[in-house]
Amino acid sequence: MLTGEFIAFMALALVAIIGGVLLINLTKVIHMVVALVFTFVSIAGIFVILSAEFIAAVQILIYSGAITIIMLFGIMLTRHDDTSEPITGKWRKLFLLLGVLGFGVAVYIGIYNLDIPQAANTLHVDNTEQIGISLYSHFIIPFELTSVLLLVALIGAIVLAKKDEDDEKEAEKE
Amino acid sequence: MDLETLLSYEWGTMAPEFIILGVATALSLLDLFMPKKVDRRILGWLGFTGILAAIVALVSLIGHDTTSILFDTFRLDGFAKAFKLILLAGAALVLLLAIDYEPKEGMKEYRGEFFYLFLTALLGAMMMSSSGDLITLFIGLELLSLSSYILAGMRKKNLQSNESAMKYVINGGISTAITLFGMSYVYGLTGTTNLKEMSLILGNIADPQHVYILGLAFFLIFIGLSFKIASAPFHMWAPDVYEGAPTPVTAFLSVVSKTAGFVILLRLLLAIFASVPVQGDGAEPLPLLLRMQDYLAFLAGATMIIGNVIALRQRNVKRLFAYSSIAHAGYILVALTTMSYFMFDAIWFYLLAYLFMNLGAFAILQLITSKTGSEDIGQFAGLYQRAPVLAVGMGIFILSLAGIPGTAGFIGKLNIFMGALIREPAHFVLVGIMIVMTVVSYVYYFGLFTQMFFRPAADDSKLKLSPGITTVVVICAAATVLFGIMPNLALDFFHQNFNGFSDFLQ
Repeated sequence: MLTGEFIAFMALALVAIIGGVLLINLTKVIHMVVALVFTFVSIAGIFVILSAEFIAAVQILIYSGAITIIMLFGIMLTRHDDTSEPITGKWRKLFLLLGVLGFGVAVYIGIYNLDIPQAANTLHVDNTEQIGISLYSHFIIPFELTSVLLLVALIGAIVLAKKDEDDEKEAEKE
Repeated sequence: MDLETLLSYEWGTMAPEFIILGVATALSLLDLFMPKKVDRRILGWLGFTGILAAIVALVSLIGHDTTSILFDTFRLDGFAKAFKLILLAGAALVLLLAIDYEPKEGMKEYRGEFFYLFLTALLGAMMMSSSGDLITLFIGLELLSLSSYILAGMRKKNLQSNESAMKYVINGGISTAITLFGMSYVYGLTGTTNLKEMSLILGNIADPQHVYILGLAFFLIFIGLSFKIASAPFHMWAPDVYEGAPTPVTAFLSVVSKTAGFVILLRLLLAIFASVPVQGDGAEPLPLLLRMQDYLAFLAGATMIIGNVIALRQRNVKRLFAYSSIAHAGYILVALTTMSYFMFDAIWFYLLAYLFMNLGAFAILQLITSKTGSEDIGQFAGLYQRAPVLAVGMGIFILSLAGIPGTAGFIGKLNIFMGALIREPAHFVLVGIMIVMTVVSYVYYFGLFTQMFFRPAADDSKLKLSPGITTVVVICAAATVLFGIMPNLALDFFHQNFNGFSDFLQ
């Protein structure tokens, strides 16, 4: 039972969950980002255990790398010494706790002793190539649609973040 | 897969989507290279023409056989055609409103973006209606959501608009996460994202543990998607977002986005959960979907009660319409809950009627609120003296929303009633709640009515009508009355062309 894989999984899962909990509970934004990095990296580790190396690498590159750096930039460029203050009441916390526990129990009942018949597959062989092939043939329509999605996100970010020309003119006058 | 196989698919069946995508791209490029002085409204008209072209393309495809491209990642079946018609018509009318939209603080700079974000949102909604694969469905959902988040925050200098966009994005993110979590369970149990294969695999499921997980997945997917249709338990974003967003965006959210939400909900629930057999108390196993009827009924009832009762207290017209749209989502959920033979007819017709009556009301709302900048219900006072035609138009829409005979809204509600009563056992409680809540809704609808017809106007200035709003009001009023008196026009069209969606899972 206590195989190396099991121990590795437990360690990674624990780090991922602790990172998530810390992200919510810490008060300084920089600390939150560091907690987030721990979660991202341990999820990448879980992907390695599942022998999905490509996704693990992508997870590190995009999430731990790009997204974290962008968040850091965002924090640096705005009020980075801001701390959040909890304002929720006691009853609300209690209800939330009950809700979370209830959901946890419901899911635990479902996955405890769950038996999914496993079939031998070749998904781990050359998985980067396999992902590439299915992405560019089988799933070409959603793939292309994703590019539209990214375009929308890009335009939206520019529209919402750009300073108006009127503002700039006013700033120059002052 | 080589190029030959790829080209052998009937890409022509995607023509409406290609047109919308092409027009959206063209608009973004034009917006970039056009001189700054040129009025961006021309882009709006181009977009409108594009949507009309897409409607024409879709109508020419109506007789076309069920087509599937690339393992159902795109499929054109009766279901897709019927609902894409509603989505396109709604988006065309919304775009007319957007062309005439003139907020107080002005929006000269981002008018171009305003138009093509509507188009990308429409593209997402269309993909949601014509796909048989979880991945495409999800990407379509996200494309629609992301475009709507940005659209809601388009009035950058308006604090309410900023707040609404922020609330929308956070709520939307949470709901997407919940939906995705539910989908991941279904994928985990079946090992495929194709809805048809899923339904085949799930038909043979016997392990009660698996069924339990599927039940869990059902709730997660339903709750996540209830965000899109603004029904309980994910309805609380609606009033704030509707109030803060620019009026055409509010109209878009309440009609096109809601329709798209129902489309993906129907597709997922019927394709995945209707095929899971559950051994119950009786001898025969029932589909999981039918086992869930009581919970769905509870949520539908709660949605109707919350929407209608809180609407009673609203003074802000946009908030009032937000709660009213929550209530209407509840009515449509009643049709979904009962799962009668007329479920598709009832939902399709109700969404069609809702499209016209709600968009018409929003057109008049936009005209009146943009003139004064206030959204108080008192702005409607004396509308009959100021603009009799508009007041009569608004009267028609309100009567239809309330469900008075002679309007499309009445027929829509009647279809839902019939569907709920024809089932064995009939859903008397649900029908009872629906009738009581309809009566409750009379209070606030007719409050608006008395303001328009019986209160003296605060200022007597004439309202200046713009061509876009006039067109929307005329089309919507005509359609509302027409489908109210001759509903068979729409229903016959539906029955003749879509075969009762018999090709849903073929």
